[in-house]
Amino acid sequence: MNVHKARCLKRWSLVLLIPFMTFALHAYSEGGDDHGHVDHEREMREEARGPNGGKILHEGNIQLELAIFEGGVAPEYRAWIERDGKPVGNAQLNVILTRLSGQQDRFTFSRRDDYWLGDGIVTEPHSFDVAVELSLDGNRYQWQWASYEGRVEIAADMAKKVGIATQVAGPGNIERHLQVYGRLVTPPDQKVQLRARFPGVVTAVRVNVGDRVEKGDVLAVIESNESLQRYELRAPIAGVIQDRSVNVGETATDSTLLTVISHETLWAELKVFPGQRAQVRSGQIVHIQHNNHAHESQITNITATTAGSPFVLARVVLSNDDGDMAPGDLVNGQIDVEKIEVPLVVDNRALQSFRDWTVVFIQVGDIYEIRPLELGRSDGRYTEVKGGLNVGDHYVVENSYLIKADIEKSGASHDH
Amino acid sequence: MLNAILRFSIERRYLIMSLMLALIGIGTWSYQHLPIDAVPDITNVQIQINTEAPGYSPLEAEQRITFPVETALYGLPALDHTRSLSRYGLSQVTVVFKEGTDIYHARNLIDERLSAIKGTLPPGLEPEMGPIATGLGEIFVYTVEAVPGVTRENGEPWDAMGLREVQDWIIKPQLAQIPGVVEINTIGGFDKQYHVRPDPQSLLEMSVTLDAVADALRSNSNNRGAGYIERNGQQLLVRSPGQLATITEIENVVVGRFGNVPVTIKDVAEVAIGKELRTGAATRDGHETVMGTAMMLVGENSRVVAQDLAQKLEAIKASLPDGIKVEAVYDRTTLVDKTIATVQKNLLEGALLVIVVLFLLLGNIRAALITAAVIPLSMLATMTGMVRTGVSANLMSLGALDFGLIVDGAVIIVENCIRRLSEAEQQNGKRLDLRERLHVVYQATGEVIRPSLFGVAIITVVYIPIFTLTGVEGKMFHPMAATVVMALLSAMVLSLTFVPAAVALFMGGKISETESRIIVASKFLYRPVLEAALRFRWLVVSGASLLVILCVWLLTTLGSEFIPQLDEGDIALHALRIPGTSLEQAIDMQEILEQRLKEFPEVDKVYAKIGTPEVATDPMPPSVADNFVILKPRSQWPDPNRSKADLIAEMETAVNQLPGNNYEFTQPIQMRFNELISGVRADLGIKVFGDDLDQLVATANEILEVVESIDGAADARVEQVTGLPMLSIIPKRITLARYGLNVDDLQNLVAAGIGGEEAGLIYEGDRRFKLVVRLPEIVRTDIDSLAFLPIPLPDGDFVPLSEVAELELKPAPAQISRENGKRRVVVTANVRERDLGGFVEEVKQRITQQVDLPSGYWLNYGGTFEQLESASQRLVIVVPVTLAIIIGLLVMAFGSLKDSLIIFTGVPLALTGGVLALWLRGMPLSISAGVGFIALSGVAVLNGLVMVAFIRDLWRETGDLAKAVVDGALIRLRPVLMTALVASLGFVPMALNTGTGAEVQRPLATVVIGGIISSTLLTLLVLPVLYHWVHYRSNRYHKA
Repeated sequence: MNVHKARCLKRWSLVLLIPFMTFALHAYSEGGDDHGHVDHEREMREEARGPNGGKILHEGNIQLELAIFEGGVAPEYRAWIERDGKPVGNAQLNVILTRLSGQQDRFTFSRRDDYWLGDGIVTEPHSFDVAVELSLDGNRYQWQWASYEGRVEIAADMAKKVGIATQVAGPGNIERHLQVYGRLVTPPDQKVQLRARFPGVVTAVRVNVGDRVEKGDVLAVIESNESLQRYELRAPIAGVIQDRSVNVGETATDSTLLTVISHETLWAELKVFPGQRAQVRSGQIVHIQHNNHAHESQITNITATTAGSPFVLARVVLSNDDGDMAPGDLVNGQIDVEKIEVPLVVDNRALQSFRDWTVVFIQVGDIYEIRPLELGRSDGRYTEVKGGLNVGDHYVVENSYLIKADIEKSGASHDH
Repeated sequence: MLNAILRFSIERRYLIMSLMLALIGIGTWSYQHLPIDAVPDITNVQIQINTEAPGYSPLEAEQRITFPVETALYGLPALDHTRSLSRYGLSQVTVVFKEGTDIYHARNLIDERLSAIKGTLPPGLEPEMGPIATGLGEIFVYTVEAVPGVTRENGEPWDAMGLREVQDWIIKPQLAQIPGVVEINTIGGFDKQYHVRPDPQSLLEMSVTLDAVADALRSNSNNRGAGYIERNGQQLLVRSPGQLATITEIENVVVGRFGNVPVTIKDVAEVAIGKELRTGAATRDGHETVMGTAMMLVGENSRVVAQDLAQKLEAIKASLPDGIKVEAVYDRTTLVDKTIATVQKNLLEGALLVIVVLFLLLGNIRAALITAAVIPLSMLATMTGMVRTGVSANLMSLGALDFGLIVDGAVIIVENCIRRLSEAEQQNGKRLDLRERLHVVYQATGEVIRPSLFGVAIITVVYIPIFTLTGVEGKMFHPMAATVVMALLSAMVLSLTFVPAAVALFMGGKISETESRIIVASKFLYRPVLEAALRFRWLVVSGASLLVILCVWLLTTLGSEFIPQLDEGDIALHALRIPGTSLEQAIDMQEILEQRLKEFPEVDKVYAKIGTPEVATDPMPPSVADNFVILKPRSQWPDPNRSKADLIAEMETAVNQLPGNNYEFTQPIQMRFNELISGVRADLGIKVFGDDLDQLVATANEILEVVESIDGAADARVEQVTGLPMLSIIPKRITLARYGLNVDDLQNLVAAGIGGEEAGLIYEGDRRFKLVVRLPEIVRTDIDSLAFLPIPLPDGDFVPLSEVAELELKPAPAQISRENGKRRVVVTANVRERDLGGFVEEVKQRITQQVDLPSGYWLNYGGTFEQLESASQRLVIVVPVTLAIIIGLLVMAFGSLKDSLIIFTGVPLALTGGVLALWLRGMPLSISAGVGFIALSGVAVLNGLVMVAFIRDLWRETGDLAKAVVDGALIRLRPVLMTALVASLGFVPMALNTGTGAEVQRPLATVVIGGIISSTLLTLLVLPVLYHWVHYRSNRYHKA
């Protein structure tokens, strides 16, 4: 009896103390839970999935599995309809997707080998309210559910506070520019080197270096050796005396006496490199930037340079009315490569990357949703939209990053 | 031996008293030198090796810096493991040493290894070891701000750069000199730099390259000493000054020649004060600020250091420019003071209640005072012990101290002495003379000393399982167990020496032991109840057994938490944004977040650190911000009784409405610990090791799928490694060659142009600022026009960047983590509603079957399941061994297994009350509650011991079992009631406390109060019944 009692007592105490210690230890694992997040996407993934990876819908003995099939083809709806586990062949199935903007996509299904195929592509984003209508032997079945992705709700006052601002998508201009550098040169026709027609003694020189001359001004007088007649050397163009290598009393032979140069017009010879060449044509508008002054002109011609240079020269005629430009100056030219009007553009600030797409976020009320875009041409400010967005949609321009951050934030973590 | 000590203590009572004075002296000294902190330090022995690598991308940082550094550390003695992360501009290798390694020695070893590899690192990069601090190190944080409207001397308003200059050159140098401060870490603002920003077009025009600009600046800014010359007996020092000092001087440096004309910096570039490319920022109350964090040296007293810092900061204020406001936003002193206040309050209230109870029950104020004196004396002795063993005073170590238990031994001795003294007086009919009195005290003490010593020994033994905990849990609870054991041992020594000596010394007068009315009434009630219990013993025993079974069941339904969360009073939260978020964007989001938090009336200050501070003690990307929410004192809250959990819940709802942020709520010190310990904190962590990041991620995702498909898996996820958007400028080699360029030429230009190139220092007195050559902001930040950036050719011509390089925008690894010298990606999962061991087994099996690991890749299973497994295994051995030791001790005390077991029944019976109390208050089972149970077992055993000892002695004297049981129980009624009341009333303030540290003490106190009620009832009823029953039967058996 005593021995029995002793055993009993000992067991009691063991029973009590060991579980206490183990519970305490087990608790530790549960204590760590609050660090993790419950991932909503994952919760959704845990819903019932059918053998084909689709969503299972039940009613009575009817089972419908609906999947978006993306393997190698554009996303399409496929459905499997069974009654009592056996495929049926005479059903009428419609799926209506209502998107955020109110747009409805309607799919009618037709029978394929072992599944039903919806007509049409399920366009991105796959974010919509789904309504399924099934007619089978005179019975109608309906299911509805919401299936959202890339969607987030932000109250209007909060959006205002954090600086989210939208614009209405619409037509616009795309102006693509190319930046090139080049130097200013004197056009060949603006520089005249005067020589004596007949050798002789120079009797007068009326101008000095730097003097402005008009066309027809007498620059020098020479007495011909042969005829002993004096003849005048006149300025063939208006310009400035750039060089004078003659003085009274000197004999003029066939060397250059005076150089008249006109800076009224200058050429900018812009270097266009092979990667840019395809986009540059004569006649394009060029904005020349010279010492913080802007000049606008056109490309007159494009010529190759001496052999061996990798670039070609695009010539632009510039009028130098102010006289602030000089040959040899380096200029920077912005060539308007393309200037087109397109039916739909978005502000570049609105563009964000999302998964593999470039998206904008459209706003309907307090709801924001991604719109994967098919983009066309772009300049530094606007980008042409070829698909994915409609004219009149409100899209987020300022602080669009916040929307992206909010949609993706469930993935943001700080693992120590 | 015991008797010898007793005799000595009583005879040399004056000596003992003077020894007590010495104890008070030493104790007071120790108290002043006791390191006081809020929570126990759970940091492991670790050293961070940070290498700042400006401009390096994660991939380059890993390849060029992290790998050589890691390789150099192989084979260090006492090395536990290394881990590393490579991020933009930073390589951080964390070296963790085995517990107990001397940190200074370890740093020496690392220093030696690092100096050996300096040659293999890229030039200009210097690995540095992080500050010698632990998770408790960040004790003081202050912000530097400008008073709105006040301008600087030059008439301009203060900007972030100006504030940073004040912090770097006025405040920091002064604070860094305070003893105990190892580092002042700055975050926020901008480091002032002198920027030379060449205009690409002007460079082309003047045929000057970016390199030439940097070279010209480098070779035109130096002071040189040139020895000395002697002249006419005088010594002349020779010096050639040439340092650049002002913007004008920089502008006039000649960079080249255009024809005959010198080209100066001014001709090709703009020179101005500019901002660094910073990696971190700080905000406070919704606007940007500059913040300094003082880090405390390992082992210093945080309260003292923080106080010194606060004082110094106050003194510094006088030396600041007008309009600069410096304010401490976090001061550890507050928390430590609160902790001390809690402990002091409990000590005081406990002691007062003990005195009151003793006085009421003993009816003798002197006896009450003697007993109560044991509390401060043993506290002082404990503190001396703590200083000697290096245990710091904190919520955990002091929070679990339990004064009722400490005085239990003394109570029993004093009670017995009083009883015997008054008995002797009554017998004698006159006052006892000294010799008689000493003898009575000696006898009375001797009667109960053995059982009470054994009781204390048993309680000490019960703490053994706590000492077997390792890792974080061990660090958390060892100090607590050590402190309690020290307190108990000192109380034991005191009751052996001080108590009898004091009783002998001070109980000289008439012992007015007229049993107090309470006791008389109790005895009047107790006798019939006890007799009834003896009659209906079956009922009593089976009732008690039923109660125990019920409580065991109840125990399984209680929630549980392993480590109690110490409430630090303040809130910390990580604000997480998606990877790739820019610093400026993060600041904008942060400002809105702070404004929202500030709207709470409970919030005093909000401040945050975004990204990485100057010293990368906590390297975070710009997308992560550590927020600190400092709350007002509760009295200023609209509802002072509001629970913190409720406040946090409301905050969480509020901030979740802000778009783009994710949050993790925690507490400041806790946050820092998590950052430093940095282990896998999920139940299961599967680490995939290998070389190729894409392959690692692919394999990790495969594993994730497997894990998710297993029953019980929750929160499974793969660590995020990619997602940092990166602009790659990929050289076209053939085209480059056609233009006569090397890849290097292109890269240098891109690096210098966009990242900037250092070209020397500009000195302003002590202050020194970097001189940087960098393209103008408008050029370097415009990706579209970057394509047109002209690259100079050797012949003076140029080619646009897009011609010789491809610009590509694509995501890249945000961070590369490595462990023990190999890249790794972690898959983590928690387990719900399933046993962890089975889950892990299944995961291992399924992964082996379903996941095909490429060669060169391997897995490692870790996570808390490992600690749980090892701790469980240890406890499965240690707990039974402990129980065996207790029984062994009891057997030693009684020489009877039967009696020992009877006493032992008190343990489960006492626990029932504790369980019921927890259940009633809706509290989870925690280690604190566990400590309460341990204390309870001690009280129960102690009471049982004394009672059984008395009954047995009486039985031996009288030979009548039934009478001995009843009389013995009646004699022991008073001490049992006293110990019970002392312990339970002493805990009432603790149980109701809401102050700092209450979360540790509340469960403990609750368990003890509840348990003592049940334990007292059961000791008084069940124990005598059991004793009588067991011995009656065996008696009869023997007689038969």
